[in-house]
Amino acid sequence: MKKSTKRMKLGGIAVAAAVAMSMTLGGTSASAANSNATIDIGTLHEVQNLDNTANGGAGLTEAFTGNVYEGLFKLSDTGKVENLLAKSYKVSNGGLTYTFNLRSNVQFHSGKTMTSADVKYSLQKVTATGSQSPQKSALSIISSIQTPNPSTVVVNLSSKSISLTYNLTYVWIVNSAIGDMTSTEDGTGPYKYTSWTRGATISLTRFDGYWGALAKNKVVVFHEFTDGTALNNALLSHAVDIITSEGNPDALAQFKNASFKITNGLSTNKQLIIFNDKVAPFNKALVRKAATSAIDKAKLLSSIWGDYGTVLSSVMTPIDPGYEDLSSLNPYDVSLAKSELAKAGYPKGLTFTLDTPNDDPHPAAAAFIQSSLAQIGITMKINIITTSQWFDKIYKKRDYTATIQNVLSGRNIGWYANPDFFWQYNNPRVTALVSQSESANSLGAQAQLLKRANKLIVADAASDWLYLYPLIVVSSSSLSGYPVNGINSQFFVYNITKN
Amino acid sequence: MTRKRRHSLPLIVGGTLVGFIALMALISIFWTPYSIQDMTGGRLGPLSSHHWLGTDKLGRDLLSRVMIGARIAIAVGFGSVLIGAILGVILGLVAGFAQRWVDESFSAMFDILIAFPTLLLAMLIVAARGASLTSAIIAIGIGMSAIVARLTRLLVKRVLAKDFITASRASGTSWARIIFIHILPNIWTTLIVTFALQFGFAGLTEASLSYLGLGAPPPNASWGSLLQEAQATVLTSPVAAIAPGVLLVCLVIGMNLVADGLRDVADPTLRRSR
Repeated sequence: MKKSTKRMKLGGIAVAAAVAMSMTLGGTSASAANSNATIDIGTLHEVQNLDNTANGGAGLTEAFTGNVYEGLFKLSDTGKVENLLAKSYKVSNGGLTYTFNLRSNVQFHSGKTMTSADVKYSLQKVTATGSQSPQKSALSIISSIQTPNPSTVVVNLSSKSISLTYNLTYVWIVNSAIGDMTSTEDGTGPYKYTSWTRGATISLTRFDGYWGALAKNKVVVFHEFTDGTALNNALLSHAVDIITSEGNPDALAQFKNASFKITNGLSTNKQLIIFNDKVAPFNKALVRKAATSAIDKAKLLSSIWGDYGTVLSSVMTPIDPGYEDLSSLNPYDVSLAKSELAKAGYPKGLTFTLDTPNDDPHPAAAAFIQSSLAQIGITMKINIITTSQWFDKIYKKRDYTATIQNVLSGRNIGWYANPDFFWQYNNPRVTALVSQSESANSLGAQAQLLKRANKLIVADAASDWLYLYPLIVVSSSSLSGYPVNGINSQFFVYNITKN
Repeated sequence: MTRKRRHSLPLIVGGTLVGFIALMALISIFWTPYSIQDMTGGRLGPLSSHHWLGTDKLGRDLLSRVMIGARIAIAVGFGSVLIGAILGVILGLVAGFAQRWVDESFSAMFDILIAFPTLLLAMLIVAARGASLTSAIIAIGIGMSAIVARLTRLLVKRVLAKDFITASRASGTSWARIIFIHILPNIWTTLIVTFALQFGFAGLTEASLSYLGLGAPPPNASWGSLLQEAQATVLTSPVAAIAPGVLLVCLVIGMNLVADGLRDVADPTLRRSR
């Protein structure tokens, strides 16, 4: 008797589930996009705090850039610099003065109207002492900022800067009254920030006072995952609607059906081996060259990414100005590597420790590098550390011999012009060429100078840039209007619609 | 009856399972099909005559890695059981002999240590010493010593209450001699069963640690790290997860059966009661 009741109950549940399923399926095909939809986004990028000049993390860039905060300029999903809060601008004084004409009637989420004073405050925040913005050194050429009227900003530079507008795409325009913005926001974007739970979610709601076209959905929730498998399962069970960047090519098989869409787009995310160029044994260019030539990058890429991704030969990716294929400078050649190592004074090989972040794919890449270097007599020990340990030990204290990491932003050659950068590469010729390239009169001339600098850096094997990640976005098939590229880890959500 | 019990079925099955793993570990010291650094196989290659268990993402032979994993599991089992046994028996003897508050405070300490999750203890030790095989062995050994100590204390107390101890004391035998001729011979049969159980448990804990990236660092291929690596590719190449998983199960079940069998054979109280 008892048994049969149980079975009936189960049957009832099954019927209810079937009805619910047919209802949702019916809804999918019939109704149009819902402008009050909630979009759940799954990401593997972390948010550390809400301030991008205080090391907020890639998760923050992804959630906030273009969504909550806007810059004077915007880097589009295809990598083009477009005017955003700057309606127009004028260059004068031989390229040393930029006059920005601001868009009018732009409101912050707090209700205040944006003025030139806010722009000045935001620019100074990036270059201020204590700022940890990656654009700090590039924008340090700003010598003074004037605000002749509320809608005009005049920026004076100490030297010409052809990539100023590009660099300004990183700079968020913030209400000058905000104060500490590590746990609050006041931007001009199409979304207001509503809540943040560290390590879990960050939620945005449509801002109805936005100056431009309103967002096509009402609520966006970024769900932060630390494990790729858990994220995939979340999409499979529809706990999230979209994955901003799938990290595992072998997981895609489960999404190759009518319920999901997979796109393969452009990213600026690069994997590299960072040598501490001031610490033995990697203070010798020959040792770095030997290590670089001992690694079969094509095989490494296919090991990690299968058929996806692009092998790199330098810091530049194909969309960077001045890109060229320099794989002939440090080719994969084990016997060449051996002879370089011997010439550098290590005929019997050497031993060093590679600090390896514990997130994928670093441990697997480290194992590959370990086996590759063993071929030329280099014994590499793997020390696995967490991301926060990495920032402290390596980025801040520079207490390392070599490490691996991925870099999410594009156009990183400028870091080699800074002898004080954490990899401590010091080549005055590179520094000179990079600063000349900033003063170039045309994009063509800039590219030519960067090309020369890049060749010097590769000839020194300052770091070993391994490969460019693919950007694989996997979404539920009910979603459309989402970005398919991941330039500088931006992810504009305002055009996403859900059927 | 007695002969039948000596060849108890659990002991034979358990011994075979563990023996197989031990043999694999032993062979791996002298020979593996491919070197651990060899990445010449294809990405996620299928099972073939060249690679019996296929290859992993980096093109390394899985059979070789699984064999090395067996070596690590056995090493961790022996190492941590040894540490647990030495520490545990000594502490247990002290507590067993001690009176009142010393005994009570020792017992309380054992209870706290037993309540403390071994995995958490291991994570703390790994955080302090860095991830290595030795850290894992020490951590697991310390975690297990409390269980051994509590058991030893109990057994010692039970033996001490016996009349022959009083007689031995009365005839002037030193405590040290009593420990070696009366106490240890009377308790080791029970202890050995616990050690066998703990051997399997140690292998499992090490796998958990390696799965979390806190075990033996690469290129050492612990079963736990093999499972972790296989997790991402389980849809395309399930053998990479199944092989270390099955072996881990074999080790734990095998050691449990061995413990069962040992108790059947060695425990005099059980023998009498049947």
